[in-house]
Amino acid sequence: MSSLAYFFKESLQGFTRNLSTALGSIITIFLSLLIIGIFLVVGVMVENLVTNIENEVSITAYVADDADQAEIDRVMGTVRSMENVSNVSFTTKEQALEKFSNSISNAEIIEQLDGQNPLPASIDIELSDPQSVDSVAHQLESNATYQKICEDPSNPADSIKYGQATVERLFAVTNYVRYIGIALIVLLIFIALVFINNTIRLAILARRKEIAIMRLVGASNGFIRGPFLMEGALHAIIGSVLAVIVIQLLRVSAIPRLQESLQFLSFDIAGSTYVMIYAALVLAGLIMGLIGSAFAMRRYLKV
Amino acid sequence: MANSARRGQYSRPQGRHGGHAAYGRAATSAPNQLSSTLPSLDIDEISMQMGTPVITFDHVTKVYPAQPNRPALNNISLQIYAGEFLFLIGHSGSGKSTFIKLLTREITPTEGRIYVADEDLTTMRNWRVPYLRRNIGCVFQDFKLLPNKTVFENVAFALEVIGKSRHVIRTQAPEVLRLVGLQDKMNKMPDQLSGGEQQRVSIARAIVNRPPLLICDEPTGNLDPQTSRGIMDLLERINRTGTTVLVATHDRGMVDNMRRRVIALDRGQLTRDQDRGVYGSDV
Repeated sequence: MSSLAYFFKESLQGFTRNLSTALGSIITIFLSLLIIGIFLVVGVMVENLVTNIENEVSITAYVADDADQAEIDRVMGTVRSMENVSNVSFTTKEQALEKFSNSISNAEIIEQLDGQNPLPASIDIELSDPQSVDSVAHQLESNATYQKICEDPSNPADSIKYGQATVERLFAVTNYVRYIGIALIVLLIFIALVFINNTIRLAILARRKEIAIMRLVGASNGFIRGPFLMEGALHAIIGSVLAVIVIQLLRVSAIPRLQESLQFLSFDIAGSTYVMIYAALVLAGLIMGLIGSAFAMRRYLKV
Repeated sequence: MANSARRGQYSRPQGRHGGHAAYGRAATSAPNQLSSTLPSLDIDEISMQMGTPVITFDHVTKVYPAQPNRPALNNISLQIYAGEFLFLIGHSGSGKSTFIKLLTREITPTEGRIYVADEDLTTMRNWRVPYLRRNIGCVFQDFKLLPNKTVFENVAFALEVIGKSRHVIRTQAPEVLRLVGLQDKMNKMPDQLSGGEQQRVSIARAIVNRPPLLICDEPTGNLDPQTSRGIMDLLERINRTGTTVLVATHDRGMVDNMRRRVIALDRGQLTRDQDRGVYGSDV
């Protein structure tokens, strides 16, 4: 207990004694974690955006006007039991027309229809995993009952619409965005580790005389390591808390303004996600500080 | 000279192998010669150690990988007894520093065994080394003081880092500083002191933990003759409390004046081990 108090006292004194090196390592940790934190926030935003876009992917399977309701129900039951399907609903011809008339501004077109309804009824399929849209569509296409009730029995694939090419391209892009994001964050963490290790090594180098004397008079390795680990942890906590504060300030001040000017995008992230990012930053800082100091210490502790 | 008079009074007349018992008696029967401020001495413990060597070198050879054909120490065997005061002399490169590093187990011998207080340094586990070093005080030519700590803090540091309580530090550090005559300079920084005073601080730091063995590597190498004599006086006084003192030195005058046991090394060979020896011309 008394040695813990000693470590703490020593690490606090480390601030006043080596103000420049202490500031150096704090700033290094602060900047690294700030960049990592901003990346995480932006990453979560992009991920949300991508998920939103992906969730709009759905399958519309058109049904012939003279289709038997029982057969439609049977197809819907089959689709419902398929994997990755979250919701199946039926849109009648009337509903389709209403939706269409709501979506256009020119009411004349409806009037010109003369009470006729050229729009087909459809089965609408929403997916729990948008990436499986292709396989669900193919399963439906090969379903015998659906082939019977689809709009054009000679070519059932033609009656199933899900914007195949667009969806494929979209997924390619969103997956790339994900991988690049993860790779960048890993790279940033690595760079931060190298920087922190270097800064701490400098701090230790500045005090190698002290370490040599500690070894000379018989201080145990744990005792020599203690203040440095404590100091590393202290710097890391200060640096990471600073990073958290700055990110919180950005969240409060910058994001609403950004949202105002870019209204078609959503920058909304749940508060709990922010809390998790903050906790991860402080934890990562602490771990990097401890690992960095432990590594940097090693060569000075050889007996 | 006062110094030589004192030397005559205290010097040990016997050869080293018969001398330990007599030396122990000298220490017990002459308490008046000890400064009243000296650390208290456990006489019983010292006399128990009489007759058994505290340090044994048993055919020790050290070869550095960088110079495989030229051993730094070659087949050295010797014994050092509790309470001895001895000089280790030799040119630069004769193996003095290797000898000292082997004792503090900064390095291990290539061949042979070294025992310090019945413990075999060659098989000692790394985690035990700090505890060995707590029993060996070290003094160096360049003092090795921390420039950003006061005299008191420098001495207290040695106790702090081995986990001594604040109470122990507050009693022992001033006591040992009084012993080396620096009680008035406790709050000075090292760079405000003269070289001799700095060396006294470093001696105080080395003995504040009351180690049974004090090793000094060229303690007077940076000091003028007058100051050197003061330092050697101090080392002698520490020796009289029962501490074994080993001094590596180039200082011919010092060795010739003090007439203590002399171990001479030359290119890794033990060339002379002589009681009441002189610096001589062979080194």
